[in-house]
Amino acid sequence: MRRIIDNDYLTMFFRLVVGVTFISASFYKIIEPGDFAKSIWFYHIVPGSIINLMAIVLPWLELVCGVCLIFGIYYRSSVIWINIMMVVFIIALTSALIRGLDIDCGCFKAAKSSNGSTLQPFLLDIGLIILTIQLWLSQSRKWMLGKS
Amino acid sequence: MIIRQIIILLIISALLGLLVNTISPNGIELLGKYRDISSGNEPIIPPNAEEGDPSFIALDLAELEFNLGEVLFIDCREFEEFECGTIPGSINIPFDYLPYENLEQYLDSAMGFVSKDYRIITFCSGDECDQSLHLARNLQAFGYKNVSIFFGGSREWENYGLEFERRQDCGE
Repeated sequence: MRRIIDNDYLTMFFRLVVGVTFISASFYKIIEPGDFAKSIWFYHIVPGSIINLMAIVLPWLELVCGVCLIFGIYYRSSVIWINIMMVVFIIALTSALIRGLDIDCGCFKAAKSSNGSTLQPFLLDIGLIILTIQLWLSQSRKWMLGKS
Repeated sequence: MIIRQIIILLIISALLGLLVNTISPNGIELLGKYRDISSGNEPIIPPNAEEGDPSFIALDLAELEFNLGEVLFIDCREFEEFECGTIPGSINIPFDYLPYENLEQYLDSAMGFVSKDYRIITFCSGDECDQSLHLARNLQAFGYKNVSIFFGGSREWENYGLEFERRQDCGE
C-alpha cells in the first residue's frame, strides 16, 4: 500500500489532475470577479461585506496553489490550501443541497444565472479530495522544484 | 516553516488579486453591498440588479396584490417545479426554455394577450435564482409597463405559510 501511495508517477499524475483542475477553475473567476461574487452571494453563507474580497482573492489562491502543486514549489503548503478550499467548497455545496438551493455552483464558471446542479460538483469535489489525501500522504518528491 | 509558507501563499494570492482587480476593467469594489435575506416587508434586490430594471417588491406587497387580484403572477421556473407548488393562479413561463425567435409574440400569447398596462409580477424559486429578473427585463423591453419582480419567490411565499397551489404531490 505504501509503495502505491509513494509511487512517483501516480503522485505526479495526481498533482497534474488536481493542479490543472484548480488552475482551470480559477480563470473565469479571475476575469469576471463580479460574476463570481454573485455565485458566492447565491449560497447565503458568507457575510455580504466580505463577498467581494473573497471573490478577488480566492481565484488567485486557486491559481497560485495549482501552479505550486504542479511544479512542486511550497508543495505541502499548497496541498494544505487546496484541502482547505476543497473542504470549504464541500461544506458550501452540502449546505446548498440541504437547503434545496437550485444554484450554479460557481466552481469553474461563475454564475450568469443561478440555475444549475450542485450534485455534480459535489461529487467532483469528493473525488478531488481523495486525490489530495494521496498527495498529502505521498513521500514522493520527484519532479519538484522546491524541497517541501 | 509550513505555517510561514501557507501565509506566504495567501499573501501572494491576495496581492495578485488586489493588483489585477485594480487594473482590470472588470474590477469590483472591495466591499460589496449585499442584503442577506428578506425580512418579509423589504424587497430582496439581487446584486445583478441594474438601474432601469423593473421594480423589486417584497412579500407583503406581493401578498397584498395577490389578495386584491387584477394581477398576473408568472412563475419562471421549470414546469415540474411549477407543478410541485406555486402561487395560486400563476401561469408558468419557464425562462430557460424561451424560444430565441419571435419571443415577443410567444410571450404575448403565453400571457393570454393581456394589455401592456396590466399588472405583472414575475417570480422563481427564491433569491438564488434570477429567471424572474431576466423575464421581467424582457417583458419591460417588449413594452409591458407595469412589471415587478418578487425576488423572494415561491420559497419565501411558502415559508410564510401563504396559500400554495400544488398540482401534483412531489413528496415534500
